[in-house]
Amino acid sequence: MNLLAIAGLLLLLGAVASLVAPRNSTRMGFALASQVAATALVLSAALPVIAWGTAIEATYRWSYPIDALRTRLDPLGAFFLAWSLPMTLLGAVYAVGYLAPYLQKGRNAGAHFALLNMVSLSFIIVYTAENALIFLFGWEIAAVAAWLLVIWDYRNQKVRFAGFNYLVSTHVGMFVLVAAFMILHSQTASMDFSAFAPFLSRPGTLRNVVFVLLVTAFGFKSAFFPFHTWLPRAHAAAPAHVSALMSGVIHKAGLFALLRFTLMLGTPEPWMGWFLLAFSGLSALLGVLYTATQRDLKRLLGYSSTENVGIAGLGFGVGYLGLAWHRPGLALLGFTGGALHVLNHAFFKCLLFYAAGAVYRATHTVDLERLGGLARKMPRTAVAFLVGAVAISALPPLNGFVSEFLIYSGLLSGEAPSGDERILLVATAALLSFVGATSALSMVRAFGLAFLGTPRAPEVHPSGDAPPSMAWPMGLHLAGTVVLGLFPAAGLWLVSPVARLLVDAPSARGPAALLAPLRTGNALLLGAVALLLLTTLGARRAARRHVTWGCGYTAPTPRMQYTGTSFSAQFVQVFEAFVLELRREKLPEGNFPEAESHVHTHHADAVERRMFESLGNGEDLVRGVAHRIPEEPRFAFAAGLISLVVILALLASHAGGAP
Amino acid sequence: MTLPWTLAHLVTLLASPILVVGVINRTRARWAGRKGPPLAQTFHDLVRLLRKRPVYSETTTAVFWVAPYVTLATSAVSGLIVPMLGVGSPLSFPFDFVFFAYLWAAGRMALMLGALDTGSAFEAMGASREATFSALVEPAMFLSLGTLGSMAGASSFSQMLTFHGADPAVIVVRVGCTIAMTVLLQVESARMPVDDPTTHLELTMVHEVMILDHSGPDLAAMEYGAGLKLSIGCALLASLINPFGAGSPRLLVAAANLALMLLIAVLVGTTESTIARLRLSAVPRYLLAAFFGAVLALLASIWRTGGAL
Repeated sequence: MNLLAIAGLLLLLGAVASLVAPRNSTRMGFALASQVAATALVLSAALPVIAWGTAIEATYRWSYPIDALRTRLDPLGAFFLAWSLPMTLLGAVYAVGYLAPYLQKGRNAGAHFALLNMVSLSFIIVYTAENALIFLFGWEIAAVAAWLLVIWDYRNQKVRFAGFNYLVSTHVGMFVLVAAFMILHSQTASMDFSAFAPFLSRPGTLRNVVFVLLVTAFGFKSAFFPFHTWLPRAHAAAPAHVSALMSGVIHKAGLFALLRFTLMLGTPEPWMGWFLLAFSGLSALLGVLYTATQRDLKRLLGYSSTENVGIAGLGFGVGYLGLAWHRPGLALLGFTGGALHVLNHAFFKCLLFYAAGAVYRATHTVDLERLGGLARKMPRTAVAFLVGAVAISALPPLNGFVSEFLIYSGLLSGEAPSGDERILLVATAALLSFVGATSALSMVRAFGLAFLGTPRAPEVHPSGDAPPSMAWPMGLHLAGTVVLGLFPAAGLWLVSPVARLLVDAPSARGPAALLAPLRTGNALLLGAVALLLLTTLGARRAARRHVTWGCGYTAPTPRMQYTGTSFSAQFVQVFEAFVLELRREKLPEGNFPEAESHVHTHHADAVERRMFESLGNGEDLVRGVAHRIPEEPRFAFAAGLISLVVILALLASHAGGAP
Repeated sequence: MTLPWTLAHLVTLLASPILVVGVINRTRARWAGRKGPPLAQTFHDLVRLLRKRPVYSETTTAVFWVAPYVTLATSAVSGLIVPMLGVGSPLSFPFDFVFFAYLWAAGRMALMLGALDTGSAFEAMGASREATFSALVEPAMFLSLGTLGSMAGASSFSQMLTFHGADPAVIVVRVGCTIAMTVLLQVESARMPVDDPTTHLELTMVHEVMILDHSGPDLAAMEYGAGLKLSIGCALLASLINPFGAGSPRLLVAAANLALMLLIAVLVGTTESTIARLRLSAVPRYLLAAFFGAVLALLASIWRTGGAL
């Protein structure tokens, strides 16, 4: 534990040094050096914990306000630390390249790199805290640091707005979390997690309330639907490495905290599992529907975070049900799959954001409707994005498939006490398959439009591929994505101590045994592709070059290519109800139109538009409806029916008809 | 699976694309009053394509020439998972149907990226349609296979497809799954009424338009991969409706499966000769049929279990 304390102090020192140092190069040098040292220290503490599964504890004295600083590093915390710190380090390395144009213009990099250090520090605090106050302290450091990192380009009003939006949202989540802690404190007269556990493991109404509050708070942190509205804005506004770290690493703290409190819950009730499944299923579904319409590449990736935390949440929901039904095999599959998806998502999401950042660096835009043909100018970035896209669509042989396979096998295992519950699980698997297929659509669209074809806007000239400081982090994330896909045992080694902590299973072999045959399948697939490519090598050497077949039309222009909007048009038509299209148009009039005409479409976030606006204008809405009731019999009838149902339900529950 | 059966499986897998496509074309010709091409015509076409030099568009990148082989490889590997002869498969493991579905998804992704690589609006149009339709039909596949699996208490393709029972609920589940799988087959292998494989107008195509720019061995790989998918789909349907279960002699099951596969090919040919392709905007509604079939199967499965196990 002392290693972690030293690492924390080093990070603080590095942050201070990078704030006071004279030149940008020394500032970045101090920050990076302290990050490297801290990462090494943390890994040397965390890896043994993962390997042997024994937790280490330490108590530090602090006179005020917290008497004893209790910290504990168990396999759960160690698992999150083991990749969070190295990835933050890679993010900082990427920042050196990404921010170079700003720094050349004289921006001071000190604060930015100091904040990256603070992010790492917050991981050490949150992942080892055994006390609610320390936990909140770390939580707040991460929130504020992320906010300040987002508004790097603070002179832009839109960026400031996005940052503020994030700051408010994250604190709304914080209020909910504090409320939960206050209830716990009032019941246990302590702020220690070890004191919470006995209270949380007893069934009761307050326990249920605390559970819902906690899930809501962690939902805000991890951007679950419908608490995701800050996310697309923040991701579009932030520098690429900040988006990557927020989406892949920082907001995983919400899922960590969910697991941390799961440990205290003892045996959860089945409704908690269903609640998690519904909440996560909704996030996955709506997150992925929004990815299909975005034209801003980084917004698209932002929405896909909501989708992916939803998928991990589905795994956790299965785990909860397994615990509640006393089926350790099921619980093991769910938690292993969910935790593995958290890790996998961190790898491929950072990879995708880094590639998007490289695109932004080279072209100064991430608008899909203006990009095109980047694969020729930026081959390294194209490969990185393609690998990330295949992984995030959960396609074999990469890592996204491994974790989703485990979640599927939990959902489809048929381990449920009754037929109704079993078919609900099968239906959830069907939902997950829809999410997977839609994610493939979005990713084909994103990669195909940005990197393939020909440039859509003549004024967009890529200035070159990613410089080494950006290419190396991408390369390492790419390697991780591939290795975790081809050798799932590597990921399982990290994750299975976590699952064993959560599930008291006789043997933890289940997931490993399930994943073993995938190796044969993947090997066959890769072998077949390699063999086919080799045998046709000769034919390809003799190939001729010609223009793309224009179906008889001989003067095609890049503007005639399919656009992002047209690519998803047919899909959006089916899901009109969920995807809000805003349209501004001036159509040509008359037989010989003279005035300029245009059509401008934009896909807005339906939650932000409909739900939050109606909450904000609730009074007016209610008044409007109230006015219409006497005028329109339909409304009066509906209102009467609803009140009747509510009254009957109340009577029935009072009579003991419902629990 | 023993070695002779594995060999038989491989031979069936490799030969059936040619045979199934041949039977379909022959059926269509008969309906049109023609004699039709020989059954092995596809084979000759493939050999001819393999001898040709490919032509690549100047717009394309490596994605374009890798894509056909990824498509072919995914189809071929997925063929090892499905019980082509109805008596088990060489590659069988728990939840192999999830791997199967995602293999097809990987092949589809390669196909769509290859199409987008040309920069042609027509090909992108086809890719967009393919992506939409497959997203809509995927849940039906998981619903029906998941139901069948939980009904059979099995988790691999070959176990769940060879599961038979006298219970009327089992029959309803199989009927539901058959409906869902039929639509799935039509979408995945681009057949009527979702897509017309012989249309002559690029604007109306789905699958064919995506391979417009492929030529030579690449086109051969695409065609053969598509044929593989078609015959794998036929084999899946055949083992679903195969009246002989796991208890019957293996040779009988295999013979029945092959016969049913060819019968399905004849039915596909007949469908294509007698009805017209659906309007594109009507296709999503048609795909609902798959979903309803799957939901029917799902409901029937509770009917048997009566809500409690």
